[in-house]
Amino acid sequence: MITIENLSKEFLQGQQSTEVLKGVNLNIKEGEFVAIMGPSGSGKSTLLQLLGGLDVPTNGTIQIDQKYLNGMTEKERTIFRRKKLGFVFQNYQLLSTLTVEENIAFPLHADGKLTNEKNRMIQELIESVGLDGLNRKRVNLLSGGQQQRVAIARALVNNPAVLLADEPTGNLDRAKAEEILSLFLKFHHENKQTIIMVTHDIFAAGFADRIVLFRDGVVDRVISRKDGDYAKYLASFMA
Amino acid sequence: MLNIWQVSWRNITQNKKRFSFTLLAIILGISFVTSMLVADKTTNDVFNYYEQMYVANADYWVLSDEHTYSEEIVSPIQQDLTVTDTLLALDKQTFFELEGDRSLNERSVRITGVNDQNSPLLVLPVIEGSLDNEGIILPEAAADLLGKGVGDTIRFANMGEAKVSAIVEYTQLLASPGNWESAESSSFRVIAPLELLREWTGKNDEISYMRFQTEGDGEDLFQNFQQKFRDASVYIEPVVADDLQSNDIGGLYTFFYLIAGLSIFISGFIVFNMIYTSVIERKREFAIMKSLGYTQGSVSKLVLIEMTLLAAMGTAIGVPLGIWLGDLFMQGLLSVFEFDMVYTLNWKLPTLIAITIGLLFPILFSLFPIYSAGKTSILLTLKNGSVVNASSRQYKLKAIAGLALLCFVFIDHPVSYAAVLASVILLFPILLVGLGKLMKPVLTALFNYSGVIAAKNLSMQLNRNANTGAILAIGISVILLLSTVVESAPEGYEKEIKNTYGGDVRVTSEAPWSAEDVNKLFSYHAVTDVKPLTEATPITWETIHEERRQFSVLSVSENGPSLFTHTREKDLTNKLKQKSSVLLGERAFNEWGGNIGESIRMNTPNGEQYYEVIGVVNTSHYSGYVAFMDENQLRDEFGWNNSFDLLLTLNSKANNSIRDQLWSDFGGYLSKVRTVEDEIKTTTSAISGMNSLIFVMLFMIIVLASIGTANTLLINTYERRFEIGTMRALGFTKQQVRNMILAEGILIGVSGVVGGIAAAVILVYITSKSELMEGFVSFHLPVSHLILAIIAGVSLSICAAWISSKTASKLDIQSSLKEG
Repeated sequence: MITIENLSKEFLQGQQSTEVLKGVNLNIKEGEFVAIMGPSGSGKSTLLQLLGGLDVPTNGTIQIDQKYLNGMTEKERTIFRRKKLGFVFQNYQLLSTLTVEENIAFPLHADGKLTNEKNRMIQELIESVGLDGLNRKRVNLLSGGQQQRVAIARALVNNPAVLLADEPTGNLDRAKAEEILSLFLKFHHENKQTIIMVTHDIFAAGFADRIVLFRDGVVDRVISRKDGDYAKYLASFMA
Repeated sequence: MLNIWQVSWRNITQNKKRFSFTLLAIILGISFVTSMLVADKTTNDVFNYYEQMYVANADYWVLSDEHTYSEEIVSPIQQDLTVTDTLLALDKQTFFELEGDRSLNERSVRITGVNDQNSPLLVLPVIEGSLDNEGIILPEAAADLLGKGVGDTIRFANMGEAKVSAIVEYTQLLASPGNWESAESSSFRVIAPLELLREWTGKNDEISYMRFQTEGDGEDLFQNFQQKFRDASVYIEPVVADDLQSNDIGGLYTFFYLIAGLSIFISGFIVFNMIYTSVIERKREFAIMKSLGYTQGSVSKLVLIEMTLLAAMGTAIGVPLGIWLGDLFMQGLLSVFEFDMVYTLNWKLPTLIAITIGLLFPILFSLFPIYSAGKTSILLTLKNGSVVNASSRQYKLKAIAGLALLCFVFIDHPVSYAAVLASVILLFPILLVGLGKLMKPVLTALFNYSGVIAAKNLSMQLNRNANTGAILAIGISVILLLSTVVESAPEGYEKEIKNTYGGDVRVTSEAPWSAEDVNKLFSYHAVTDVKPLTEATPITWETIHEERRQFSVLSVSENGPSLFTHTREKDLTNKLKQKSSVLLGERAFNEWGGNIGESIRMNTPNGEQYYEVIGVVNTSHYSGYVAFMDENQLRDEFGWNNSFDLLLTLNSKANNSIRDQLWSDFGGYLSKVRTVEDEIKTTTSAISGMNSLIFVMLFMIIVLASIGTANTLLINTYERRFEIGTMRALGFTKQQVRNMILAEGILIGVSGVVGGIAAAVILVYITSKSELMEGFVSFHLPVSHLILAIIAGVSLSICAAWISSKTASKLDIQSSLKEG
C-alpha cells in the first residue's frame, strides 16, 4: 500500500542545512493503523508532510497506492491529495466561514459538483461522527471535540486510500481523545481504512496496530500488536 | 543598543507588498495635491504676468465715451511735473488685404497706433525683429496664421501698407485669433506707429486713450483731473490689473481641489487600513512590550515613527512626481482653454505646502490606530489574542444610521452631500453581503466552488472589505457628479446666455452708433428689432477691503433687452430707476464682499461715486463679473453718454449671411459681430475640453481606489494564510485559490461600481433639484464616464485581485498550517 524507500529530507536555513530524515525505509499495508512516535525534531511530522505531498523529499521515494509521489508535479500532487488522502490536524484546521456540512463537503466541492450520492454520503458521515442536527451550524460555535469530529468526517468524505492524522488528540482531554480515537478505530475496523497517525501520546498510540518509533531522523524501532512485547512496551510507558 | 527608528523601519517593511501598496497610495495622493497646488499657483502667476504686462508701468489712463478725442485735452497732464511718462494710442478698425478667399469678418483687424513702441508703459516681449517705431508689430499667433515674418509687407484695406518690424509674444493688448474659425468672430490686433496710423486715417491730433505714469501714487493729480473732466467726453481711471472679467479660472480650481481632496481621502483610508491591520496583528507584541515596562506613550510613539517614516518616503517621492504632473496639467489646461500663453512653473511655495500635507495626512489618518496600539490591554490581549470582529448588531445599527442619513436627500443644503457620502460608508456592509448573495450564481458559473467560497470570505472582514468598496464607490460617485455638472454646464450656460444675451447678434462699433445706422439695420429683412446696449468700460471700483477692481457697467431699461435673470427681475429693474442704485452680477458681488443694501464705490466719468447695491443677478455677460444700472442714471448721474453696441433680434437663423452684410455695410467702423451662437460656442468649448481632464481624473481616482482594493485583499490573504494553507492541504489547487481571490476582488469592484453609481444617482438628483443650482444641472449621468467607471472599476479591481491572488497561491502550505 505505502512503500517508503531510503527517504531523506534536508532543510536549508541560511547557509546551514539540517537533515531531518536520514534514509527512512518503511512499508505500510492496506487497512493498517500505524502510529508514529518520537521526540520533538525526530522527523515524524516531516514524514507525514512528505506522505501528504505537502513537501518533496530530498532523496528516496514514496509510493502510495502504486503511485510514486516523486515524479508528480505540484498540481498532480494536489489532485492526488484531494482524491487519495485525508488529513486530520491537531488544531482541526476548519474553515471558519463555513458550516459543519460545508466544511465536510469542501474536498468534494474542490473536485467538482456535488451529486445526490455524495450528499447522502456526507449526511451518513455526519451521523457516524455523532454530529447529527449540527449540519448548518458554523464550526466556530462548536466545542473542540466536535470540531475534531468535523475534521475527521472531512478527511474521510472523499473515501481516501490513506488517512493522515497529525496529533489528532493533542488539543483534547482524555475523555474527548478517547472518543476521537474510537472513531478512528471504528472506521479502521468497519471500512478497513488505512490510518497513519503521528502522536506524542502513548495512550493514543495504543489504539494503533503498529507503533513506529523515530529517533534522529531514522526509524529506531517498530513494535507491532502481533509482537509479544507490544503490551509490555505500552505498559512500560503507562507506568 | 535598540534604535527605535531602525525597529520601526523593520516593522513597516516586514510585509513588503503591503508596504509598497501603502507607499504607492501616499505617493499618488500627495502627487495629486502637489500637482494641483503647483498648477494653481502657476496659473495665478501666468495671469498675473499677463495682467502686469497689460498694466505695464502705467498708473492712470484717460479714456473717452466717444471713439476718440483731441490730444489737446490731455496736454495739461502731459505737462504736469509729476507725470513721468505718457503713451498715446489710437485704435482703428479695418481689414487685412489677403490673398485667397477670406471673408471680411475673418480679415477684420484692429490697429493700435502708439507714439512709442519702446515706451515703459507698453510691454512687448519681442520674439523676432525690433521695436523700431516704423513698422507693424504682430503677435505670434497672428503672424503664424497669416504666414508673415519680419520684413514681410502687410496691406490694410483703404489705408496702406507697412512692413512687419517685430513679432511679439501674446499680450492682452494684442490678443488675436489663433485659427480661422476663431477669426470668424474676433478681430486680429496689431500695433503700428501712431504717426503712420494718423496718416492713414487722417485723424491727425486724435487719440483713443492716453496712459501715463506718475511720481508717487498720483492720487492728487487723479482727483484733480477727475473733477476737471466731469461733464466732459473724457474721463480718467486708474490702471487696474483685474483679469476676472475675462476668465473664471479660480472657480475651476475649486473643482480640481475637490478631486485632489478626494485622492487624499482615499490615500488616507488605504494608510488607515494598513496601519490598523498592522496594529491588530501586533497587539500581542505590544502587550508583551507593555508587560516589560513600556508605557502607553512609548508604544504609540513606535507606531507614530513608523507612520512618519512612511509619510516622509511618500512625500519625498510624491512631491517631485506631483511637480511633474503639475507641469503636464498646466499644458493640458492651457490647451483646453486655447490660451496662447507661456508659463514658468511655480513650484517653491506649493512644494512647501505639499510637504507639510504629505507629512501630516498619513499621520492624521493613523491617529486612531496609534492610540489603539498604546491602549493595548496586557491581560486581555495575552488571553484572547488580537481578533476583532464586529457583531451583526453593529452592522444593523450602521445600516439604520445610513438610512437615516439618506433622508438628507430631501434637504436642499450642501450638508446633504456629506450625509449621502457618509451613508454610503454605513450602508456598504449590507450592500456587499447582498451583492455577494446576488452574484453567487455568476461567481459559481465563472469560478466554480472558488466563487462560492469568495462570497463567504467577504463576510470574514466585512468592515474592511465594505470600506474598501465604499471608497471606490465614493470616488466614482463624486467624479460622476462632477462630470455630470461639467456635461450639464454647456446646456445650463446655453440657457443662461440665450436668456440674458439680449438679442441674437451683438454688433460693436469703434464709434457710437448713429440714428442713421439704426434705421439702416431696421431695413434689413432678417432684423426684427434693434436695441442699443450701453456699456461703460473700463470702470474701476473698490471691494469692501478697499482693493481696486475693474469691470463694465451695462445699462438696463424697462423696455430694453433682457440682460439678467432674477425671480424679481421687473421689480429690480424698476428699483434701479432710483438714484445711486446698482445691481451686481454674482461674481462681481462675491468679489466686492459687501451685503445688499451697502454701497459700492466707483470711479465714474462724473468722478468718484457711491451706489447702493440693491440686488445680485445671474447673467452670462462677463460670467457675472459686471454691474447693471438704469439707462437714465448711467447717462445723467454716472456720466456715460454713448452706445457702442447694438443688439439685433432676427426673424430667422440667418446669422452668417447677416454677418457678411454687416461687415460689408459698416466695415469702416465695425469692430465686432458676435452672435449668440458664437458666445455659446466660446463659453462651452472650454467646458467640453474639461471633460477630457475629468476623464483622466476619473481613471486616476479608480486606480488609486484599486490600490486600496489590492492592499485590502493582500491584508485579507495574509490574515487567512492558515485557512488558505488548509484549503491547499485539502486539495484546493493553486488556480482554485487564485480564482477565489479574483472573485473576491470582482465582488469588491462590482460593489464599488454599483454603490458608486447608486450614490452618483442620488447626488445628481440632489444637485438637479437644488435651488442653489437654479436648474443648471439636469438629472442624468454622463454615459461615457459611466462606461469608464464600470470598465475601469471592475477591470482594475481584477488587476488588484490578481496581484493578491499571486501572493495567495504562492503561500507555503506547511508554514501556513502552522499559523493555525
